[in-house]
Amino acid sequence: MNHFPGTWGRPRDDVYGPYDASYLRSTGPKAHTQSPAVTGTSVIAVKFNGGVAIAADNLASYGSLARFTDVKRLRVFGNAAVVGFSGDVSDMQYIDRLLESMDIRENYSAHGNQLNAKNLHTYLSKVLYKRRSEFNPLWNHILVAGFDGDKKPFLSSADLLGTTFSAPHLATGFGAHLAVPILRRLFPEERPIDEITKEDAVSALRDCLKVLWYRDARSLDKYSLAVITHEGIEVQEDQQIEAQSWAFAETIKGYGAQVV
Amino acid sequence: MASIIGHNPHSNSIGYSFSQPTNAGNKEHSFYPYTDNGGSVLGITGKDFAVLAGDTRSTSGYNINSRYVPKVFKIGGDQETGEGAHILLSVVGFAADGLALKERLDAVVKMYKYQHGKPMSVRACAQRLSTILYGKRFFPYYVQAILAGLDEEGKGALYGYDPVGSYEREQCRAAGAASSLIMPFLDNQVNLKNQYIPGSGEGHALEAKKPEPMPRDTVEQVVRDAFTSAVERHIEVGDGLQMLIITADGIEEIYHPLKKD
Amino acid sequence: MSSPFDINGGACVAMVGKDCVAIACDLRLGMQALTVSNNFPKIFNFAPGTYLGLTGLATDVSTVSDLFRYKVNMYRLREERHIAPQTLANLVSSSLYERRFGPYFVSPVIAGINNTTGKPFICGFDSIGCIDFAKDFIVSGTASDQLFGTCEGLWEPDLSPENLFETISQALLSAVDRDALSGWGAQVYIIEKDKVTQRLLKGRQD
Repeated sequence: MNHFPGTWGRPRDDVYGPYDASYLRSTGPKAHTQSPAVTGTSVIAVKFNGGVAIAADNLASYGSLARFTDVKRLRVFGNAAVVGFSGDVSDMQYIDRLLESMDIRENYSAHGNQLNAKNLHTYLSKVLYKRRSEFNPLWNHILVAGFDGDKKPFLSSADLLGTTFSAPHLATGFGAHLAVPILRRLFPEERPIDEITKEDAVSALRDCLKVLWYRDARSLDKYSLAVITHEGIEVQEDQQIEAQSWAFAETIKGYGAQVV
Repeated sequence: MASIIGHNPHSNSIGYSFSQPTNAGNKEHSFYPYTDNGGSVLGITGKDFAVLAGDTRSTSGYNINSRYVPKVFKIGGDQETGEGAHILLSVVGFAADGLALKERLDAVVKMYKYQHGKPMSVRACAQRLSTILYGKRFFPYYVQAILAGLDEEGKGALYGYDPVGSYEREQCRAAGAASSLIMPFLDNQVNLKNQYIPGSGEGHALEAKKPEPMPRDTVEQVVRDAFTSAVERHIEVGDGLQMLIITADGIEEIYHPLKKD
Repeated sequence: MSSPFDINGGACVAMVGKDCVAIACDLRLGMQALTVSNNFPKIFNFAPGTYLGLTGLATDVSTVSDLFRYKVNMYRLREERHIAPQTLANLVSSSLYERRFGPYFVSPVIAGINNTTGKPFICGFDSIGCIDFAKDFIVSGTASDQLFGTCEGLWEPDLSPENLFETISQALLSAVDRDALSGWGAQVYIIEKDKVTQRLLKGRQD
């Protein structure tokens, strides 16, 4: 301890190098998000006969640190849609506020027609595209699940660049590598959506989350799952991955220092 | 020891983190606002029709986003059904820019009709599209566009664009990921490049075959051949072929499955 | 564009037909966009009915073709017979892999008819000797994308020597016309069991 109280409790410059204060800058150019900070991992979703199921775990990571373990990344909009967020959590909360105010505005409006999931997806993709065009992106990849104007199940994605696409099953982030192949195997294109029951869809999502929990280092075994049908939206926010089997782990060989 | 390693000539003062002079200049922006969604499109004109076709795969990197994301759009028609449209636009490259461009052009064509009481000609629309693209000269729409329709005489019209608005009316044009594979094939089969009339002469006297407008079924077959070939050799092309054919009777849409590997 | 493979430009293609094979190349030699010569053939003969096409860095095209002339001559003297296309393929492969960490910047193509079996043979390589045994066609050079497109569109199985000539010529000419670094005429070899026909194609001179 020295006679500079301002340095007490801080990493010593002579040991750790000077503190990088660049992020404390209050003058100079306005800094836009150039990389996400607190992030959520995959969101996965699948259409079934009469609705859509969507799931995401409850983790918000800070780099490799599992920082917040009770973060709800599925956002219910009215009784029409569920939005699943991956990517930056603060940007998620900002978008959430946009949706909140829009929901209130819509509910007070006189026109009486409700926004559906398709409208919501169009809106969100335009918000994302506008922000990327200003070089100030909202660092998220989102899935929107619900119904379109014809009351048909709707599932579509939008990312930080404003790119949009839609498919019978979608996943963001690591899920695009790990979950989509599982979903494609369970629900091949030849199999019509009418043959897929709600139970099929939900159990498929649970299986995918388990695989993600096994293999995605930024995932959690606590998750949220929402099912959107014409009857309404059921959200379960404190699910736990059941029947884990780590038996396979001891058969894994050859990583790191382990040679045989 | 660590003090030697950690020594920094600029940090002679004590380490108040907030009193540190900010010598960091403008930080380099690491956000890249574009991505390539792959895929290819191709357009061919005939005497009284034009065909615009594109595969329906959407990719990012080695991932397939979706097997059905159309790249060919009807312009100036109903939002949902496209009914009443008289112009076709295909965009390939960065899909979000492509969609934004399509929606801007669509709005322009509709406003034209509301203000002038007549549909916009393809020629006018082609010039307008060029202006729109050039308007973003220093932050371009990352797309290669092809515009198709019927001209004032009812002949098939096709316009090809670069991302910043250079354009040209052509008989045929391929764009996108597999354009380098498809375009020389089209030169050969549609514009009959390097083809000569057998026995018409020796050396320089040999007479080149003259390209004639092709009938519709031949054009459709050439389009299918071009795409099945591209699918074999380009990983970003596949899944489905969407073909829009514009004639005096309206726009017809044909979907044809392609290999999904 | 600073890749050594793209400095001089050039294209080469080989195709299989019914009891025949064909190999063709363009004639351009350039330095970046400047054309220096329009008489730089890239196909070399190593035995009756056995040809090697080399595209890439021109200095390596010459070096490698000379190296293989030496190696194949030594082979012929030792073995007292001509080298078979399959044997040449393995020779090319192992010779290129010897330079694994300082490769010759060439993309070789072999076309020939095996003298003992009478079977057509083609293959291609990357610059470090990985062999691509294809049953249909092999492309290489700065116009390889274009060649893939034209060959995939025009080629069909069991072409007669006449039709194979027409197909390979159309494929090559149309492809090099869409590549700024290739063209300026072409050379085509049609290889049959006991006959080789060499043709010079004029092509576009721009």
